[in-house]
Amino acid sequence: MSLKIALTKGRTEKQVVPLLEAGGIDCTAIRNKGRRLIFNELPDFHFILAKGPDVLTYLNNGAVDVGIVGSDILVEQRNPQYDMLDLGVGKCRFVMASTPDFNPNQTKRKIIATKYPNITQDYFEKIGEDVEIIRIEGSVELAPLVGLADAIVDIVETGTTLKENNLRVYAELQPVSTQLVVNRIALKQKRDAVYDLIQRLQQAKQVEA
Amino acid sequence: MSNRKLPIGTRDEFGSVAQQKEQIIEQIQRYFRQRGFQKINTPLLEYREVFKPLAPQAYQPYQLLDERGDTLVLRPDLTLPVARVMSTTGIEIPMKWYYSGDIFRVKKRLSGSYNQITQAGIEIIGYASLKAEWECLTAASQLVQAMGIDDMTVELSHAQFVPRVLAALPLNELAKRNLETALYDKDLERYQQQIAPLKADPFYPFLQNWPWLFGDFKAVLAALDQLPAVPQLQSIIADLKATQQFMQAQFPAQAVTLDLSIQPPQEYYTGMVFHGFSQANASFLFSGGRYDQLLASFQQTMQPAVGLAFDVDALVERLPELTTAPATLIYFEPSQWAAATAKQKELPNSSLCLADSAAAAQRIATQKGAQLIDLSQEAAK
Repeated sequence: MSLKIALTKGRTEKQVVPLLEAGGIDCTAIRNKGRRLIFNELPDFHFILAKGPDVLTYLNNGAVDVGIVGSDILVEQRNPQYDMLDLGVGKCRFVMASTPDFNPNQTKRKIIATKYPNITQDYFEKIGEDVEIIRIEGSVELAPLVGLADAIVDIVETGTTLKENNLRVYAELQPVSTQLVVNRIALKQKRDAVYDLIQRLQQAKQVEA
Repeated sequence: MSNRKLPIGTRDEFGSVAQQKEQIIEQIQRYFRQRGFQKINTPLLEYREVFKPLAPQAYQPYQLLDERGDTLVLRPDLTLPVARVMSTTGIEIPMKWYYSGDIFRVKKRLSGSYNQITQAGIEIIGYASLKAEWECLTAASQLVQAMGIDDMTVELSHAQFVPRVLAALPLNELAKRNLETALYDKDLERYQQQIAPLKADPFYPFLQNWPWLFGDFKAVLAALDQLPAVPQLQSIIADLKATQQFMQAQFPAQAVTLDLSIQPPQEYYTGMVFHGFSQANASFLFSGGRYDQLLASFQQTMQPAVGLAFDVDALVERLPELTTAPATLIYFEPSQWAAATAKQKELPNSSLCLADSAAAAQRIATQKGAQLIDLSQEAAK
């Protein structure tokens, strides 16, 4: 029985495909995908390509057995499945950032703009602060620049976007990387196949390192 | 505006799904009635406090206030209400209950999950011996087989296995908790970090493979050979082995696996835990186990208790869709009421057509794809 894997399309897909190949999984079809989203030609591994949050939806409903998705989405969506392996790619981090004149110790209820309200809530709860969160869907950097929010919580990889927008990092929240997540029942149904996949990827990771 | 919409997470059931569900519930209930169980019904509404022993994040309930401002919930579970009944009504133990009903758990919005789930199950209270577990497993195997589901795997586990191994490890409490969480989460790297300080310990070879300690019964038991002798594990392993042998003797065709790496479903579980899953379903077909701590949140004294609940919706989903014979409609004159009723009893999948003219009856029959028997013609002859 083949293992059904949902892979986050886009950047994650580009970073994970070499790792899958190093693990001996033929990804020619995914590399030459055109507009295809479903790849069933391999006998042991079937792939679908989906957006990150959707990978979790497919996984939670048992439509796929395994998901490959960033830890930002896993944490934000309160993933209930097994997060079994850090693939060591797609590394970036959550930070709180704002304009240079922002004072993090100012006594007021801060307004924080973010795409990740749960992660933001968790962080401020941990440091004992209550903040007002405004959900933004993209280009979060805008919010403090136009005066919508005091600061933002967002993912940064190199920090270039922040610099270009004249924003500074005020706090490091948590690291982010691409994870292999397994549906709890699928792990029981397809134990050996999941074990095999994880062994392949662990070895591939070591080789890459 | 909202009188034409369903609340998120709910659904209507009709046609073959509703019919199969009714049949399965009836089949389960009849089986337990025949095995001498007593029926118990508890209300849909309970005080929130009843469900305090449930892990808080796992079951978000629907909440409302009663007229005095106390918080009520639509029951998210059927076992705790039975425990409440047992500790407040002076019912003599031992007691065997069966029940069926709906539970409500609020799931993530727009995720394709339903918040109203139908369960049917049993609670055996007052029997401490392994025979109580075996009665549950017998019921599960026989019922699922009788429903025509032939690819179910029964998985055994034990709530005390992980805690007793952890207790034997030379680690401080904090390190044990961290190891336990990493094991239960199956976070392989965090787990390897947690066991790293034990590299020179005799437990290490066992610990290395612990997160994968599930699957084939014999293989999992064989892996325990790597484990240094822990006297507190002996009774657990003996019970699991005895249960596997029982299943093999009684249900030789039933696949039985073992998992010694999972978290018990709830904190009040104290002994064996069992689940059933098919290759096709995304949820367990049944779950249960021994929870001698069950009554602890309602009274001072513990009572042995074992229970099992079928996920009726998962069973229905697993069954092949009902194919019904073409229907027959019986049209008749009002004076023929008795004859029509008699005819209807004779014919399977038939129904009285209540139209007031033969032409209307024919239209309905054509529309439904049914065969029409027109008794009024016979009356005319």
